[in-house]
Amino acid sequence: MKIYTGSGDRGKTSLFSGERVSKSDLRVEAYGDVDELNSVLGGLVASLPPEELKLTEEIQRIQSDLFRVGAWLAVTPGSSVASDLEEISEKHSKLLEAAIDRMDKGLSNLKDFLLPGGHISAAWAHVARAVCRRAERHVVRLSATSAKDSESEQLRAVVVYLNRLSDYLFVLARHCNRIHNISDRVWEK
Amino acid sequence: MKLSKTVTPDANSYATELLDRCWLTEITFEIRLKRPPSFTFEPGQRIRFQHHSIERDYSVITTPDDTTLALCIYHVEEGPFSPILAAAAIGTSFTFTGPHGYFTYRPSERSAVFVATGTGIAPFLSIGRSGVTGFTLLHGVKTSSDLYYQPFFRSCAAVYVPCLSERRTETPPTDGFHGRVTRYLEEQFPPGIYDFYLSGQQEMIRDVTLLVDEKFPGSLVYTESFY
Repeated sequence: MKIYTGSGDRGKTSLFSGERVSKSDLRVEAYGDVDELNSVLGGLVASLPPEELKLTEEIQRIQSDLFRVGAWLAVTPGSSVASDLEEISEKHSKLLEAAIDRMDKGLSNLKDFLLPGGHISAAWAHVARAVCRRAERHVVRLSATSAKDSESEQLRAVVVYLNRLSDYLFVLARHCNRIHNISDRVWEK
Repeated sequence: MKLSKTVTPDANSYATELLDRCWLTEITFEIRLKRPPSFTFEPGQRIRFQHHSIERDYSVITTPDDTTLALCIYHVEEGPFSPILAAAAIGTSFTFTGPHGYFTYRPSERSAVFVATGTGIAPFLSIGRSGVTGFTLLHGVKTSSDLYYQPFFRSCAAVYVPCLSERRTETPPTDGFHGRVTRYLEEQFPPGIYDFYLSGQQEMIRDVTLLVDEKFPGSLVYTESFY
C-alpha cells in the first residue's frame, strides 16, 4: 500500500470521526503533539541497554496508551466512533503513579532545578517530558472549547494522564542517569 | 486486497478451512470459509490472513449472523496471496486474526453515500446484508460484467449508480454512468452535506476526499483503502 495518499495536499486532514479539518486545527495540533511524544519515546527506548527489559516494556505500554489518547483527540464530541475507543481512565494514571513511586525510591531528594541531560536516555526522557507538557497545554485549550460534557470528561482524564506522564518522564530521566551511574547536573544560578 | 499497516500479534488468531470457491469474473472470485464459533465481527470489518510471512486483509461480505465467512477477492496474478486462495484445494486450512478496522456503518441524520471501486464493494455487502437500506451507492468498475452484486444492491440502495470507466459499445444500465465515480460526483451529484464511505483504490479515495472539501463541505468521510 502506498504511504502517500495526497488527500492532505491542500492543507486539510480527516479526523478519525470523519470530519475534514484544517491541519492547523487545535485538535490536530493536540494529537500531533501526542504523536511527537510517542516518537520521542521510541528514541528513548532505542537508547536503553538490552538488560532494561522491564523498563522498555513499561515505556512501550505507555506508547500504546498514547495511541489511545491520540485516537480520542481525533474524535469530535458526540461521534459514534467514540464507542469504538477504549477510555483513558484513572487506571492508566494510577499505573504511572506506581511507576513514579517505584523509581523515586532509588533517587536522592531533589532541592534544585536540574539541567536536562546526562545519559542519552535521560536526555530523551527530558525531551519527551517537554513535548508531553506541550501536548497537555493543547489538550487543556481543546478542553476549554468543548461544548459537550461527555467529551470534557474524557479530555479531563487525558489532561490528568498527560500531567502524570510528564511527572513520570521527569523521574524517568533521573532514573536513567542513576542506572548509568551519571549524576544529575544541578542548575547553578 | 488490502495490505495491513501493522504487524499484529497473534492475539485473536483463528483457524479456518476453505469450504467453497466461486468465480464471479475471470479475475474476481468469492471464497467461503468455515467460521470459528468464537469469532465475532461488525459488518464492514476485515479479517487478516497470516500465511507464513504473508499478511493480507480482506473485508467480510457475509453478516455477523451467517454461519460461514465469505470474502470477495481480486485475483492479482503476480500477487503474493490471492493466487494461493485462487488455487487452494477445498478443505485447505488457513489462519486469520481479527476483526480489524473501523469501517462500519454509523447511522446519522445525514444521507449515507457509499462509493466503491472494484472489490472495494466488499464491506458494503456485509453492511447491506445486515439490513442497512436507503443509501446511495456508486460502484466504479471497468465494464458491466464487473457488477456482480448488482441485483442485491438494487434491492436495498435508494440510489444505485454503476459507473463504467471503460468506454465500450455496450449499453450501460439505464441508471448507469459512463465515467469514473469522481466525475459522477462532480457533475451529477447534488451539493449537500453527506456521510461519505469510500472503499477501494487509494487514488479514488484521494480524489473523492478532495472533491468533498470543494463541493460537499461539512460532510464526513470514512475510508477503507484497498490496493
